[in-house]
Amino acid sequence: MYKKTATSLMERLALPLLAIGALLTTGGFIMAFTTAPLVLGAGVPTPALIGDQMVANKLLFSQKIFYFHVPVALVSFIALGFTAIYGLLFLTRHDPAFDLRAKVATEIAMVFILMTMASGEMWTRYEWGVWWTWEPRLTTYFILLLLTIGYFVLRAAVEDPERRARYAAVFGIIAFVDAPVSLLVTRLVPTSIHPVVFRSDSGLPAPMLLPFLLALFGMCMVAFGLYHFRLREQVLHQRIDALKSQLED
Amino acid sequence: MTNRPSAIRQFAVLFVKDLRQESHTRDMLTSMGLYSLLVLVIFGAALSQSTIKSNIIQISGGLVWAMLVFTSLLGLNRSFAAEKEDAGLDGILLIPLDRSVIYLAKTASNLVFLLIVEVLACPLFYFFFLADYPLTTSLWLVVPPLFFVSLGIAGVGTLLATITSGTRGKDVLLAILFIPVIFPLLFAVVSATSVAVMGSEQLLSVYVPALALAAGYDVIMISLSWLLYGFVVTN
Amino acid sequence: MRQKQNSLPPDSLSAAIIATSLTKSFGVRKALDDVSFTLPRFGFLSVFGPNGAGKSTLLRILATLARPSQGSAHVLGHDIQEQTESLRRYIGVISHRSMLYPDLTAAENLMLYAKLYGVVDPAQRVKELLDLVELTGRRHDTVKSFSRGMTQRIAIARALVNDPELLFLDEPYSGLDPRAVEIFDQLIERVRPGKSFFMVSHDLTRGFDSATHVMVLSQGRLVFYEEKPAIDRDLFSSLYRELVGVALA
Repeated sequence: MYKKTATSLMERLALPLLAIGALLTTGGFIMAFTTAPLVLGAGVPTPALIGDQMVANKLLFSQKIFYFHVPVALVSFIALGFTAIYGLLFLTRHDPAFDLRAKVATEIAMVFILMTMASGEMWTRYEWGVWWTWEPRLTTYFILLLLTIGYFVLRAAVEDPERRARYAAVFGIIAFVDAPVSLLVTRLVPTSIHPVVFRSDSGLPAPMLLPFLLALFGMCMVAFGLYHFRLREQVLHQRIDALKSQLED
Repeated sequence: MTNRPSAIRQFAVLFVKDLRQESHTRDMLTSMGLYSLLVLVIFGAALSQSTIKSNIIQISGGLVWAMLVFTSLLGLNRSFAAEKEDAGLDGILLIPLDRSVIYLAKTASNLVFLLIVEVLACPLFYFFFLADYPLTTSLWLVVPPLFFVSLGIAGVGTLLATITSGTRGKDVLLAILFIPVIFPLLFAVVSATSVAVMGSEQLLSVYVPALALAAGYDVIMISLSWLLYGFVVTN
Repeated sequence: MRQKQNSLPPDSLSAAIIATSLTKSFGVRKALDDVSFTLPRFGFLSVFGPNGAGKSTLLRILATLARPSQGSAHVLGHDIQEQTESLRRYIGVISHRSMLYPDLTAAENLMLYAKLYGVVDPAQRVKELLDLVELTGRRHDTVKSFSRGMTQRIAIARALVNDPELLFLDEPYSGLDPRAVEIFDQLIERVRPGKSFFMVSHDLTRGFDSATHVMVLSQGRLVFYEEKPAIDRDLFSSLYRELVGVALA
């Protein structure tokens, strides 16, 4: 007998949101390269004539990566937040559906963390001339990556599905709390031993803010769409397993 | 006839149980002590080619912590061996007893063992690597960071070791979960330790905030572990 | 008139265990499926079934070591989910694992439990129990130096520290030689007056004779539950094969 899959509003929204998200991010990137102005970087040793202008600072073309890198980084952290929320829901309600959602959210988080790190690496290589440095944000994301890897290694190491879900939920919550603490500590531990590498800029001008926001919202929608497709795939997978075991009986 | 004892009394009984067990076997202290000695030997080989004298003072804060993190991993794993061997922990769970009492007692005993090992290993580190250099007057300042990290390691480590004690390949798994979680604490405290060893003037600007962050980490992580512990041991 | 959820069923004080639709599931997997039964006070229930039948799950739920997904149970008049802590005072578990600390001496192990339960005169109680299991002479030896049979006797003493009204026995015979089995049975008979028993076993030759009630679980379901006078051993064995045989094939 064929049983029709119940589709929630969220599930029906997944595909349109994925499409809109893709459009928005693309739009954001195009604007980033067309309408958004270049950012003044560090001072150059001697003022030089570039175009028709005398400039005392390098114009940072590489800053364009900001419109990709930062939204992706934010989304990865939001996804990890969902891991913690679903973990908490599992611990209080004992419903395996929450465990599955926590797991899928962590998968999405991991994909976005990898994208964050890849884009970040390109930038540090170009700007600072190194592939890696123990700079606060880089370090935090590296730790985040290790935490998500730990989450999946833990899942693989526990056979009993209920215990696996409980352990993963607890670790997911710890990982989510550990991440901002990590950022806080690596930024706030006085840097007299390490060079200060980030200046704090005050606010973005409108032509830069718009593409940034487009990319950010777009990226959220892409993540949401991906999350739902992966979740649906996993739910179907579980249903097939259940049918198989019923047939065996 | 039974009268349910207070939580503090039960905590004390469980804590003393761990100490008594250790006094019979000396299992944790011997293995942790030997392991830290071996790490020192490895440091000796690793640093044998470095000649610039000031280097060793600069990195000694970090080296001490590398030694202690690995040593504490070993201890945390062992601290649950006796609980699991004949399901002793299951027996304790049958007693009318708050789960957080079990957590706090285990954290306390792990903290004590770690502090004992530190009292032995840190002078050894000094003897092997720093004995040639004049002591700074601020050296006593390494004590507070030692305590804060030990507290954090015992607190988070006890929760994570409880989780991994029931899994396959538990030793490696504990390291995989424990090191990233403990990283912020380590980062904070290495700078505090280094300042203390180097005796630089940045005491107020570096040492105090680093220590405050370490204390903050302990408060956040231990409260969280304390709240979550019941979920780890009961299904 | 319908009963309120929290009030006790009328016969709860005369019954050792009243289980109502106990179910333990995770997703589609059901370890225990809709199990209901009543065991009168001072009864001795032996639960049989092959591996994976849900015997241990049922024991763990009734002994407050696991939570049911659905259903409820009253043990000695205590709701297992609402009055867990007060119920724990009145139950004890003897398992195939001793639940002892191998590096502590016999007396230290018992003293630990006596103090945690808050026994009024712990030293006296430990002495009584050591006399009961006839291990007074070895009270200062560590448990790891004991044979399997002696360890099991200390485990019995441990389970009796709080003078429980209901004893759970989880495959207590596994790993015991015939002589140790004999001693175990004698000890159980000696402490039996005034207590109820819930035993789980996969071996039909053990625990049938002392039982007042027998139950068979198969694939999480209760397939047989009778008071024993109604049935003799040979009949039961053939019945058991019939009930469970399908699952074994």
